[in-house]
Amino acid sequence: MTKYIIRRIFYLILTLFIVASVTFFLMKFLPGTPYSNQAKLQPSQIAIMNQKYGLNKPLWDQYLIYMGNLLHGNLGTSFQFNNQPVTQLIAHDIGPSMQIGTQAMIVGSVLGILLGAVAAIKKNTWVDSGATFISILGISIPSFVLAVLLQYYFGYKLQWFPVALWQNFSSSILPTLALAAFPLANVARFMRTEMVDVLDSDYIELAKAKGDSERKTITHHALRNSLIPVITIVGPMAVSIMTGSLVVENIFSIPGIGNQFVQSILTNDYPTIMGLTIFYSFLLVVIILVVDILYGIIDPRIRLGNGGKE
Amino acid sequence: MAENLPPLEDQFQFASDDLSNLDTESESINTPSLTYFQDVKRRLIRNKVAMTSLILLVIIALVAIFAPILSPHDPNAQNVLYANLPPKWGSLNIPGLNGIHEAGGHMVNAYQAEHVPKGTYYIMGTDYLGRDLFSRILYGTRLSLFIAVVATAVDLLVGVPYGLISGWVGGAVDTFMQRIVEILSSIPNLIVVVLLLLILKPGITSIIIAIAFTGWITMSRLVRAQTFKLKESEYVLAARTLGESPFKIAMKHLIPNLSSTIIIQTMFTIPSAIFFEAFLSFIGIGIPAPNASLGTLLNDGQKAFHFLPYQMWVPAIVLSVIMITTNLLGDGLRDAFDPKSK
Amino acid sequence: MNHKKIFSVAFIGAALALVLTGCSSGSTKSGSKDLAINSKDIISTMDSSTVTDTIGAQNLANTMEGLYRYSGRKIEPGIATKVVTPTKGGTQYNFNLRNAKWSNGDPVTAYDFVYSWRRIVDPKTASQYSYIFQGVKNADKITNGKASPKTLGVKAIGPHKLQVNLSQPIPYFNSLLTGASYLPLNQKVVEKAGSKYGLNSKEMVFDGPFKLDKWQVGNTAWTESKNNSYWNKDNVKLNNIKYYVVKDPNTGLNLYASHVIDRYQDLSGDSANQLKNNKDFSTNPTSSTYYIEMNEKKDPFFKNTKIRQAIGHSINRQLLSNQVLGKTATPDASVVPSKMTWNKQTGTDFENEPQSKQDASYNNYNPKLAKQLWTEGLKETGQKNLNLTLLSDDTDSALKQSEFLQAELQKLPGLKVTLANVPFKNRLQRSTSGDFDMVVSAWNADFPDPVTFLNLFETGGAMNDGHWSNKEFDNQIKEASDKNAGNYQARWQNLLNAQTILTKQEGVVPLYQLNTAALTRNDVKNYNMSPNGNYDLAAAYKK
Repeated sequence: MTKYIIRRIFYLILTLFIVASVTFFLMKFLPGTPYSNQAKLQPSQIAIMNQKYGLNKPLWDQYLIYMGNLLHGNLGTSFQFNNQPVTQLIAHDIGPSMQIGTQAMIVGSVLGILLGAVAAIKKNTWVDSGATFISILGISIPSFVLAVLLQYYFGYKLQWFPVALWQNFSSSILPTLALAAFPLANVARFMRTEMVDVLDSDYIELAKAKGDSERKTITHHALRNSLIPVITIVGPMAVSIMTGSLVVENIFSIPGIGNQFVQSILTNDYPTIMGLTIFYSFLLVVIILVVDILYGIIDPRIRLGNGGKE
Repeated sequence: MAENLPPLEDQFQFASDDLSNLDTESESINTPSLTYFQDVKRRLIRNKVAMTSLILLVIIALVAIFAPILSPHDPNAQNVLYANLPPKWGSLNIPGLNGIHEAGGHMVNAYQAEHVPKGTYYIMGTDYLGRDLFSRILYGTRLSLFIAVVATAVDLLVGVPYGLISGWVGGAVDTFMQRIVEILSSIPNLIVVVLLLLILKPGITSIIIAIAFTGWITMSRLVRAQTFKLKESEYVLAARTLGESPFKIAMKHLIPNLSSTIIIQTMFTIPSAIFFEAFLSFIGIGIPAPNASLGTLLNDGQKAFHFLPYQMWVPAIVLSVIMITTNLLGDGLRDAFDPKSK
Repeated sequence: MNHKKIFSVAFIGAALALVLTGCSSGSTKSGSKDLAINSKDIISTMDSSTVTDTIGAQNLANTMEGLYRYSGRKIEPGIATKVVTPTKGGTQYNFNLRNAKWSNGDPVTAYDFVYSWRRIVDPKTASQYSYIFQGVKNADKITNGKASPKTLGVKAIGPHKLQVNLSQPIPYFNSLLTGASYLPLNQKVVEKAGSKYGLNSKEMVFDGPFKLDKWQVGNTAWTESKNNSYWNKDNVKLNNIKYYVVKDPNTGLNLYASHVIDRYQDLSGDSANQLKNNKDFSTNPTSSTYYIEMNEKKDPFFKNTKIRQAIGHSINRQLLSNQVLGKTATPDASVVPSKMTWNKQTGTDFENEPQSKQDASYNNYNPKLAKQLWTEGLKETGQKNLNLTLLSDDTDSALKQSEFLQAELQKLPGLKVTLANVPFKNRLQRSTSGDFDMVVSAWNADFPDPVTFLNLFETGGAMNDGHWSNKEFDNQIKEASDKNAGNYQARWQNLLNAQTILTKQEGVVPLYQLNTAALTRNDVKNYNMSPNGNYDLAAAYKK
């Protein structure tokens, strides 16, 4: 197990190294400069600014400096905001993103599990069809459409929740719902399939034969055993929430890193684009790693292997 | 892109054979015969939901293909004086479809207010430059479907051989190829797509490349996992012992047996490609003007939603119908290929 | 956990959420002294030496006081005790400063001005707006690194006397003094904050009507409260200004409709079109104009006057401004905006002068004439079919406008237009490096004088991306800035003549003047824009 984890961490670092290098060189080929007023700048001023952003050195040196800084957790200085380190930008904006992301994850999984479980228990009834319908809708309606609709109807028309902005907990409800729809649908579908399998299995039959009540059978055996594989879709869920947050934060005027990422794309703020790319990748690989390790610990049937399956 | 998969297969060993939910597909495919595919067909036809979806999808595809014949106006022809007219269906007087909408607090007949000649009407209204929204929807659907189908085809062309080679050759080659996959899949695919689009010139080709760039990974993983199992099967072993070339084995034995996996995965790749295109256009790095796609139409419609809700509703409904039908058909196909799951 | 428990937890969660919403929502009340408005973007810096955007400039105008301040169209004394008349042929200004205080209690002195001005021209500061000091003695030399910042023509004679020396008279110097670049800085505070100056309110001091509270760069909401150290605090009527960054226009409308904000000032053209009869709706001209530059260096056929004139005559500016941009623009036949400069003696708007009005006939919408000129122009230059790229920004309204211009221009025989809509900085870079055929450029007045627009198109001008060149035009601009610099009316005439030449020759094709379209609650009063492009919030109040 330890050997496996060490190996995985090594690959994690390698992955991040490659991501950082590739992004760095890609960004260097893009047009645009950090200066919004280049035509009116004196050559001496441009020289000073180039020095400040380290743009006066050969590409290879810039690369080494960037990677060196990365090791110290320094992602460079934003072009968009004077003197503002990218790490500080991320630190400043991570809170709201994490909050709605986590909330969406919780709401999505809890409701998804409930919906999937109920659908499986009431298999082939109208409840099942209804649950299937909801989960298909959740997968089919893009989060940005959902966000606009939620804002208009629940925020503006019914005035149940704040229309936008980031002020208190209630501000986070609509964005959370917009983000939770996709994971909810995914979890529900997955849960239903798992649960149907488990309910058909021998040990459930055995439990029933032993005279356990139906509720006990479901909560003690079926639910628990179906839940384990659901952990595996946490990674994909995180990805869909990250993706969705880019537009949802924009629509709800939430000061998060998704909003920041879109902004940095539209303003050619290359250091911020690079920084956020590396940050997102880091987040994702860590989540996947943790999930894999957890899965190995929880599910006794599966043992983490060493190589392929030759 | 359809990410609902367990983690990399090579990190797990099956300690017992009691994994009914994972192994069923290969078991049933291991004895291929005509009756098997006939079975699949029969099961699919009996699945009403899947069949309805299939028929709807075929209709949408036909409408998209024949958009140039069907659309009443040039989708890019501007008539700025007739901008933002609400939907009107001839002289029918159905609320919402009679050219009357709310403006400044009271109901206004927009067609009269703009002096639109009698007999001129737009069944889905017009956009901010007075372009016919119905024609733009037709062309937009066409473009979105085109992008999705081509991106999926590229997925197949890259993902299937990649998975086949990785699975068939195994050993160091497999390990190396899987490391590449692992690295690629560690970057959120949206970010890969955005970075690619920043470098490539905006346009249809770039979007297809960008979507396909990350899309093949899931396909290759599934194909690889299946290939591993098939490699051990008796008839493949037999073919190998008889000295058939790997290419022939792949074409004759592997591909047909992988077809269910490939078809099902394709059905889930198409909607995610459509979604991705819409998403990119929505954040402003998609299809360049004046061409329309479902994503650009949604983006434009969203901004005017407060006053002109139909401009978002129409593309949103079309997009959702395509997503729903492809997903349902995908489910139906999976059930048909894998009878045990129902 | 059994089902019942799970359900009840979910139910309680939902109920809790509803209760919490009940006690939230910061809706605005009428009669309060708090004003809530939207901001298009966040403040990227509050350092007056390095600020480049209008949002920073607006918030500096709210919180800082320079020598002068605009009140309506009029320049009023700020830290200076009166608006001074220059001596020594218009090259020396002597200011007496009043007893004013920074928000930390320090006095505002002449040294603060000297420190700030030397700092901005110092090449080490790398200010992108140091050029605005051109004309102040030695400013150019200092920015080029050829002289020490200490040699700048500004001197403190004791704490309450400031002397400024110019190398030549600057007729609009008074209006320059109202701008952000000329604000004072408290040396002690700036040096203590170091490179973090202007990035958080904790390490800043303010001498203006309001002060920023608990702000940090990147915040998408911030509050400015009344500054009790402000010398003129008795005339400030608002207690708090709350800004919220809203980027999505649909969200902005919903926020206004839900009474979260008192004013939404970035309406899109579509919404403006729908709202034009609403009682809260208003438009406000800004000192920005949009025009097409044609790249004569890359495409020599643009040197042909008829080709340029054909483009000028082929665009329906009325439709563009009123329909496509929904009155967020006013058609403009000239690059100089209206409602910006009025003749000091006659009070006539520069754009209302008979000569300016006459100029409009040089590029009025006339497709027939356009086609004729185009065909002739093509023949003269030996061109047949042209495939040209129209470069522009990638904002929402820029996209719409590009699509409209594309359709208009393609009505010219043999012309195919491809659109390139790129981010702002990309557009600037491509304009500067000449990587375009036609580009929609915009200019926002640095100071309210026509010359800030006209001198862009001097031969060799840094922002003359199309490289249009006309000797007679250059002469008029030159006369205005040296020979007639001290003669107001002669200079005015020079500028009118320059405008006529530029328009007649269509050196650039003017499109429109930008308006802000806003929804404002009727209890918000006196919310007006000054000629330098900032809203004067010191004067605004709520009834």
